[in-house]
Amino acid sequence: MSQELYIDPKRCQGHARCWSIAPETFGIDEEGFAYVLPGREGAYDEESAQKAIKNCPERAIKVRDVEVGK
Amino acid sequence: MAKTKADLENFSYHGDNLDDIFEDYEVMVNECPVGRSKRYGGFAFLAKNDDIFEAEQDYETFSVTPTMLLPDLEMGMPMIPIDLDPPEHTGYRKVLLPLFTPMNIAKLEPGMIETARQLADEVVEAAAANNGVVDVSTLFARPLPTIIFSRLCGYPEEDWPKFDKWVDDVLYERTEHPEIARAASAEILRYFEGIISARKAEGGERNDLMDKIINARVDGRELTLDEMLSYSYLLFIAGLDTTAWGLRSSLWYLAQNPKAQQQLRENPDQIPAAVEEFLRTMSPVQAMARTCMRDTVVQGQEIKAGERVVLVFGAGNRDPEIFEDPHEIKIDREDNRHLSFGGGPHRCLGSNLARKEMVIGIEEFLKRVPAFENAGGEVWHGVGPLTVRLIEE
Repeated sequence: MSQELYIDPKRCQGHARCWSIAPETFGIDEEGFAYVLPGREGAYDEESAQKAIKNCPERAIKVRDVEVGK
Repeated sequence: MAKTKADLENFSYHGDNLDDIFEDYEVMVNECPVGRSKRYGGFAFLAKNDDIFEAEQDYETFSVTPTMLLPDLEMGMPMIPIDLDPPEHTGYRKVLLPLFTPMNIAKLEPGMIETARQLADEVVEAAAANNGVVDVSTLFARPLPTIIFSRLCGYPEEDWPKFDKWVDDVLYERTEHPEIARAASAEILRYFEGIISARKAEGGERNDLMDKIINARVDGRELTLDEMLSYSYLLFIAGLDTTAWGLRSSLWYLAQNPKAQQQLRENPDQIPAAVEEFLRTMSPVQAMARTCMRDTVVQGQEIKAGERVVLVFGAGNRDPEIFEDPHEIKIDREDNRHLSFGGGPHRCLGSNLARKEMVIGIEEFLKRVPAFENAGGEVWHGVGPLTVRLIEE
């Protein structure tokens, strides 16, 4: 098992706090909703990602377990 | 004398009540997280950060109908999109969503900087002509958002001087003089009817917010005139006053905190964090209303279907369970998940614009205006005058 960062699309409302705090990890789509940049799913333990999690007004940034190899 | 629970029976978040409202909040978050006020026909209030967050997500229990404003703005119809719940709300919101992304707002940055510089220069000139004393609200905090938002919407420049009075009449007169608010609302609606019919007659594309509303398609159809008017009215009311308040309250704080002022002058990269803290502690929107749609229980207190419920963002922003030293303004606060732009489906559409305007406004102001101190003793809230004295070095 390992872990990955993801954004719950039902929660994200486009505040864009994550993107302004950790632009190396989060992107914003054309309607203003956030996503984890491809390849950055493993960045959950980095300081800036943790700060983004703590500052997300919708509590939409989460970390989940993933099975290795999938 | 410190406030007590009994004072909350007359709790209001308008006008003079804002002078010492942080004392109400302290009682609320510590002793009365769910309570009731007799004002404005009576309402329940939620003060805890988590409860407000949950209520904003749960629109089936806490509906924005008939309106999020208490008392209402006397406009005569629901405001699109803030007075509608999902799923009806969703299509209307999508019309403008792409225009308010951080990337799209970044395109406005050069114009914002230029305007902020011009206004800051005017502040310095006005001070020089008046022994160093100047009203930075009237000369800076108010005109900056008016100019930037008017450009974005496409309101003709010759009309801008009319806007402040309309906004003041609607937002600040409605609690005591609803007839004044009603008359101003009617004027605003007539104004937009004129813009819409002129645009339709002219044709062509302008790529501004008025055009987006006029050409919008929701569920495959055009908007009716009433829908266009309602949407235009909401943007007008939401876009002008709030950012002016945000800038004015920031300058208000800096005027009496020379150390913080100096720190931001020397470290402009700290302004974005400071802006979040000013928003948390002195938010232009201290509360918004909902209507309870089914009997529910919050913090062990029953709330009945049909009751008006006020989500007191300002109290949730000073909830000691979420914020360390909640009443202290720490311009370098790191974890700042405040409620000032609301949350859930009604998150302030203009939050990225407002943040950008505040950061650029404060940065350009501090670059051009020398050290200043409070000279008028004005209150922290509102969009009224803010008199400062520039300090000779």
